Amino acid sequence: MKYLIRTLAAALTAFSAPALAQTYAITNGHLMVTGEAENPQEIVNGTIIVRDGRIIAVGENITVPENAEVFDAGGMPVTPGLFSPYSGLALEEISLDQESNDRSVSDSHFAASLRAADAINPDSTVIPVSRAGGVTRAFTSINAGSSQFAGCGALIVLDASLDPVIKACAAHVANLGYAGARRAGDNRAASIAKFRRALRDAEDYAIDPYSYNQRPLEGRLNADDAAALGPVILGEVPVIIQAQSAADILRTIDLADEFSLNLVLMGGAEAYRVAEELAAADIPVIMNPMINLPYLYEQMGATLLAPGLLEEAGVKVAFSDGDTHNVRLIPQLAGNAVANGMSHQAALAAITAVPAMIFGVDDSHGTLSPGKVADIVVWDGDPLEVTSRPRLVMIDGEAKSLKNRQSALAERYRNLERGDLPRAYQGR
Amino acid sequence: MRRFLLSLTALMALSACADPIEKDEASDENQAAELPDKDPFPSTYVRYPSQGVAITGATILTGTGQIIEGGTVVLADGRIAAVGTAEDVDVPDGTRTIDASGKFVTPGIIDIHSHLGVYPAPSVRSTSDGNEATSPNTAGVWAEHSVWPQDPGFSRALAGGVTSLMILPGSANLFGGRTITLKNVPARTVQDMKFPGAPYGLKMACGENPKRVYSSSGPATRMGNFEGYREGWIAAKDYAKKWEDYEKKIADGEEADAPGRDLKLETLAAALAGDIIVNMHCYRADEMVQVIDMSEEFGYKVSTFHHAIEAYKVADILAEEEICAAVWADWWGFKLEAYDSVRENAAMISAVENGCAIIHSDSDLGIQRLNQEAAKAMADGQKFGIDITPEQAITWITSNPAKGMGIYDQTGSLEEGKMADVVIWSGDPFSVYAQAEQVFVDGALLYDRANPELSPRSDFELGQTGQGPTGGAGK
Repeated sequence: MKYLIRTLAAALTAFSAPALAQTYAITNGHLMVTGEAENPQEIVNGTIIVRDGRIIAVGENITVPENAEVFDAGGMPVTPGLFSPYSGLALEEISLDQESNDRSVSDSHFAASLRAADAINPDSTVIPVSRAGGVTRAFTSINAGSSQFAGCGALIVLDASLDPVIKACAAHVANLGYAGARRAGDNRAASIAKFRRALRDAEDYAIDPYSYNQRPLEGRLNADDAAALGPVILGEVPVIIQAQSAADILRTIDLADEFSLNLVLMGGAEAYRVAEELAAADIPVIMNPMINLPYLYEQMGATLLAPGLLEEAGVKVAFSDGDTHNVRLIPQLAGNAVANGMSHQAALAAITAVPAMIFGVDDSHGTLSPGKVADIVVWDGDPLEVTSRPRLVMIDGEAKSLKNRQSALAERYRNLERGDLPRAYQGR
Repeated sequence: MRRFLLSLTALMALSACADPIEKDEASDENQAAELPDKDPFPSTYVRYPSQGVAITGATILTGTGQIIEGGTVVLADGRIAAVGTAEDVDVPDGTRTIDASGKFVTPGIIDIHSHLGVYPAPSVRSTSDGNEATSPNTAGVWAEHSVWPQDPGFSRALAGGVTSLMILPGSANLFGGRTITLKNVPARTVQDMKFPGAPYGLKMACGENPKRVYSSSGPATRMGNFEGYREGWIAAKDYAKKWEDYEKKIADGEEADAPGRDLKLETLAAALAGDIIVNMHCYRADEMVQVIDMSEEFGYKVSTFHHAIEAYKVADILAEEEICAAVWADWWGFKLEAYDSVRENAAMISAVENGCAIIHSDSDLGIQRLNQEAAKAMADGQKFGIDITPEQAITWITSNPAKGMGIYDQTGSLEEGKMADVVIWSGDPFSVYAQAEQVFVDGALLYDRANPELSPRSDFELGQTGQGPTGGAGK
């Protein structure tokens, strides 16, 4: 209960209005991903009014309030802030540097009970770098260690606040397919057995924690991990499960059905082969649309055509390549999906509206519509084009700086001539 | 033996700088010194048959810094027969014509940093052949001996317009071994892919990787790295001297025993002699400049710094030394020496007079879209206020890597007489939506996006599930 109260408090803080009640108008924009997340629309020449951190009006014929600060988009695309559905943002500063990397875990007694929110570094330089690329919200998670379970990932906002967590436990992360098997004696059947055992442990714990603690631990989850999976078996918190081959995906769907999990599929190289089943069960897929090589036998069918085929079947698709430092490249993932058959609208939704739906925050995020949090990006071209960059990034109704450590470095070395003082005195 | 002599002759013919060893042998065949075969695994690449073709109406980015609107490229006998505006180019009667109006034509894309074949898909233990991480000096290994021609990655790269690529050993070692330059043609053997006449490269690595891999046995520090390089070069100098002395004695008619061969030192001595091109993985600016000093100490030349994340900090020095910097558009943060990345890196290298920027992939996904990587780097440079045009940016993935690999006299630009390595793009190649529609290697159409019959599929993929939508382009 304490946990729930804390989550609620965090949510309230994040969603409350900023200190300054300022009104903004973004005019003359090609508004993309407007309306409902399920069915995003566009407005070719529209205006957005923002007040107290929220979007209050979106449309073609909107009167700009007199006190509004106006940003003329000049006909350029305007989108919701980009939303990474899977990353290690604020957990991973330097991947190979263990002190600055809390995305990886080795030798922990705990797995499912790990919470990414407990390791967030709000000062990570990756946050402003990603923000300059238009990313305003992200799911961030620890990578599984030796367990199939990675713990619960958090939703964060990419502002400069000391507490960027907006949802402390947004989704659990787990592994089946070979990712699960190699954590269960290198065998897929052992992986399924182990996974099923874990979920039964969670059930047992939920029913009677006292007697769970009395039983010998052999082959069972420790009490903390069993307790942490409670919300998963109740379907209250989604679980992102990695699986790649069509057969492994079907088995994952069966397990989700057996335990009434709120399943999100990750990886899904061959998800397009079972697209009907995924669509029927309304299971979204987080995937890297650029994977078209059989890195493992379970990815034999990987193809660039997958996103378009999934869209056609009515499956919700979100894009991530799993990387942290280049979360800013999710528009390139989406652009490549379009180049290979997906609609522009679905590809853009895959990095805005669909992630918001996956994590259950589409009532407040993911589209440009009245009442939603004002995370807005104005671009200097097609947002999915590799040559486009944000001109304005607004988070919670405030324009954010696009400066970051990288832009400072570039500025410092713009001129390579020797100056009157060393470069270390410049651009601090 | 006959093949040995032939290949030696072939190599001599290609060698730009006079090699005293070969000269002596040529001058006195009766008392020829017994020299190691410089080309024991000779290229057996033969271009595939092709018909002459004229590509018309396209926007041509030549790779020489030129753009030609509504231009014509004529391919004949595997070579580029003509390039220019419609008025300037005479298309011989009866030549098949491809109307490329609204499309773009570029030289075949070249990747100077790939591990295709040595780290292939499937990525399993049995195929992990890229890093001989058993000693800090493995200059004696040759990447070609690890290349698996059936890596499906080659076909995916072809669908991305890549016609030539250099395969490197990994970066665990100070001296990683020899690189190999390939034509991107499906083949049974690596020899069938070897770019005819391309010089070998030597792969070296700076910084974190060697000291991390060998932390227990050494080198464990950057200063240990430098000790290791310098000891290698010192030994190579001695080795070269032994062979020179031997040659001289034979040439003077004296009796002499050939020195014992050492594969490591043979490669390093050839690098010192300038016969093998030095490619150095080096992230940090300060380390690059130290490597330049070391190269002057021993009298060799670094051709290209690879993964040169901090090249922008010393772009002036690199340009002055005529060293190319091969970079990613935007990778960063995976280790500390990759922390100071800026998206403007390639543009900042390019902006210096005589600067040589290369965009490389080091990735089996990145190699499929080097055009997009160049596009990002170009756009970031432009937004930073550096004037970079598409006709300049295309050189980052065509002529500049060709220069770095020592094959620019053969490919890397659309110029009369060069290999007809050509890509027709569906549109502006600096757009995410552009697709390589047709890819010609030495004039032969080896990939056609519209024709499934011309989408190669490796042996490994035959008979596997997922065939339908998988092949070369993802079709």
